[in-house]
Amino acid sequence: MIADPLKTQSAAKMTESPQHSVAPVSARHDFVLEVNNFSVDYGVGEDMVRAVNDVTLKLRRSQVLGIAGESGSGKSTLVYAMTRLLRAPGVISSGDVKLNLTNEGDPEEVTPLSLVDASERELRNIRWSHVSIVLQSALNALNPVLRVSREFNEVLKTHRKGMTRSQRHDRSVELLKMVGLNEDRLARFPHELSGGQRQRIMIALALALDPELVIMDEPTTALDVVTQREIINELNDLRSRYGFAMIFITHDLSLLVELADEIVVMYAGAIVERAGASELYQAPRHPYTLGLLNSFPPLHGERRELAGIPGSPPDLAELPEGCSFAPRCPFAMQRCRHEAPPLTNIGDSDRSVACWLHSGDPSVRVPVELSREMNPSRTRVTALKERT
Amino acid sequence: MTDRSSPVQLSARHLTRHFATRVPGKLFQAKRVVRAVDDASLDLVRGQVTAVVGESGSGKSVLARMLARIISPTSGDLVLEGTPIPARAKRTLEYASKVQLVLQDPYASNNPVHRVRHSLERPLLIHGAQKHEVDDLARAALSRVSLDPPERFLDRYPHELSGGQLQRVSIARALCVKPDVLLADEPISMLDVSVRLGILNLLKGLCDNEHLAILYITHDIASARYLADEIIVMYAGQIVERSRGTALVDTPTHPYTQLLIASVPDPSDPTSMASQSEEHSSFAVPEVGCRFAPRCPFAMDVCRTSDPPDFKVGEGHTSRCWLYANESEAVVEMALPERRREGETTKT
Repeated sequence: MIADPLKTQSAAKMTESPQHSVAPVSARHDFVLEVNNFSVDYGVGEDMVRAVNDVTLKLRRSQVLGIAGESGSGKSTLVYAMTRLLRAPGVISSGDVKLNLTNEGDPEEVTPLSLVDASERELRNIRWSHVSIVLQSALNALNPVLRVSREFNEVLKTHRKGMTRSQRHDRSVELLKMVGLNEDRLARFPHELSGGQRQRIMIALALALDPELVIMDEPTTALDVVTQREIINELNDLRSRYGFAMIFITHDLSLLVELADEIVVMYAGAIVERAGASELYQAPRHPYTLGLLNSFPPLHGERRELAGIPGSPPDLAELPEGCSFAPRCPFAMQRCRHEAPPLTNIGDSDRSVACWLHSGDPSVRVPVELSREMNPSRTRVTALKERT
Repeated sequence: MTDRSSPVQLSARHLTRHFATRVPGKLFQAKRVVRAVDDASLDLVRGQVTAVVGESGSGKSVLARMLARIISPTSGDLVLEGTPIPARAKRTLEYASKVQLVLQDPYASNNPVHRVRHSLERPLLIHGAQKHEVDDLARAALSRVSLDPPERFLDRYPHELSGGQLQRVSIARALCVKPDVLLADEPISMLDVSVRLGILNLLKGLCDNEHLAILYITHDIASARYLADEIIVMYAGQIVERSRGTALVDTPTHPYTQLLIASVPDPSDPTSMASQSEEHSSFAVPEVGCRFAPRCPFAMDVCRTSDPPDFKVGEGHTSRCWLYANESEAVVEMALPERRREGETTKT
């Protein structure tokens, strides 16, 4: 988890308004998180590697933002840096991250907080109570020598000073029930639980203080497919009940299409495509997104040869000139090898792509695979909303 | 001695492996037995991919290691090219030259302090190649797995290669002793999504063009469907369903296979989200009856008292589930001999 509860003895009470550098703004902000031109480097000077390159994204309240990308695409670095959890040699080299906190008592009023400039004290106030993280390996995230009850107890003791021992116990039981676990799990040690149970406990811990934003870093990658399905259903259910916003990181694009409202696809540290989940699935615009979608063998229909994406993911220390996907791209043009495409909106839609094919240049013919139209009757999101 | 024309390269007959573990806190009491693999029979056929699908703990990796003879079975036999191999006999160099294993994590299975050249030449020398020819053979092995040109890769260290490239090196290393059987234990699960298909297509090519018999172990049933000529689903050490072709994925009969398929993220089918979300107490495998019964939505009384045999549910398709008891006579042991006969008829 983010904060070390043992070290946060002096953490301010939740009811106390934290001392922010910016005065409260009365207008209601739709966005819980705004990231602008954010770049992260590893190391400085000659050996510097840019792991996150000029990322801009916004997350609405109660929405799920999916970040898809392969290992080394910068997706984990992005969220660690964003929440100021990144350790040296990682350095935030430019950009800004604004977290819009709702005030206690008046949910219409929000206080923006710049995470990049925030002091340790301010960070301690928002960590866990406003922003929490679920990490990939629950086995490593839980302390092996502490019973599960102790983990819950410490969070609540630190952040909810007024609670009595029995209130803390009741809240722990309530949280376990929320994620579908029996209360006798409180007395267990992590090694006595299965991978799925541990991951559920991590989710319960993340939700312990009703955060506005929960970040999930590949929470299901180490689990098998049946357990993954259970966790995903649980998350969908919890989100509709408690309305927290979520950033979900994974390399499994097909999982994100089911779960997320909006998806950003990252390649070599930069966002290459951003679109609504069903738009991205039905009508991908970037060749890399198309390749990723074609990399999952289907469960239905004719068995046919799939090509995947030729080549291998790039080395960040030796990125090619121009578009970093160009060496693997089947549609690469002369321009792609010299000039890096910026992330721009397609026409007047609110989706964007970083690809010269969609620059609007009439001499460039967009391949048919990348110009498919959306079929509005088939959107996954509407189908889901109708059912719930 | 060996019958090289037989399409069946390697058969497993009733392979069983039990592990004894101590009950926690009861040091001096009887040991508990974990039935990692129970009575697994399968044929690996020349030019065919056999896929074994199962979740972690289903015994699929133990099965692969028994086939490679790294783990010796508690009971059951292996038959290599028609020659039975006694369960307790030592693994020979000859066996290793015919059956090779590729492991899951290429970074863990390649020695980080040795160059690719070393990894390829060492098995060649052990298997009797002459010093002057190993360089050419190693180059040829790299070309077979599409690592071209070979000189770009021979003198690299594992950390200098990407995961996909290194997994190709592992496959090349297995291929350089010219095996007839390749056992691939989750070869793509540690790799990046975009390079997985490349490895799958490579395995498919080896099977189609060089007529290797391939065992493909995976937890991803969609990739098994993509690749396999026969699919086997394992649960808690038992083979619960098997089919030739994709029948098992298209019309799953065993409740576990149905659960497995319903769990796969499938963006094209919005109804796939509707499945149960209650916690299953994992590994609560009952001593008697069907092992899936505690999790099964269709469990009946008979399921809790006796272990179901294989029932035939379609052509070359069997399911170990009492639900199909009325539809057919039990066909314990029928699937394998039947296919063998077919294999012989196609040969002639």
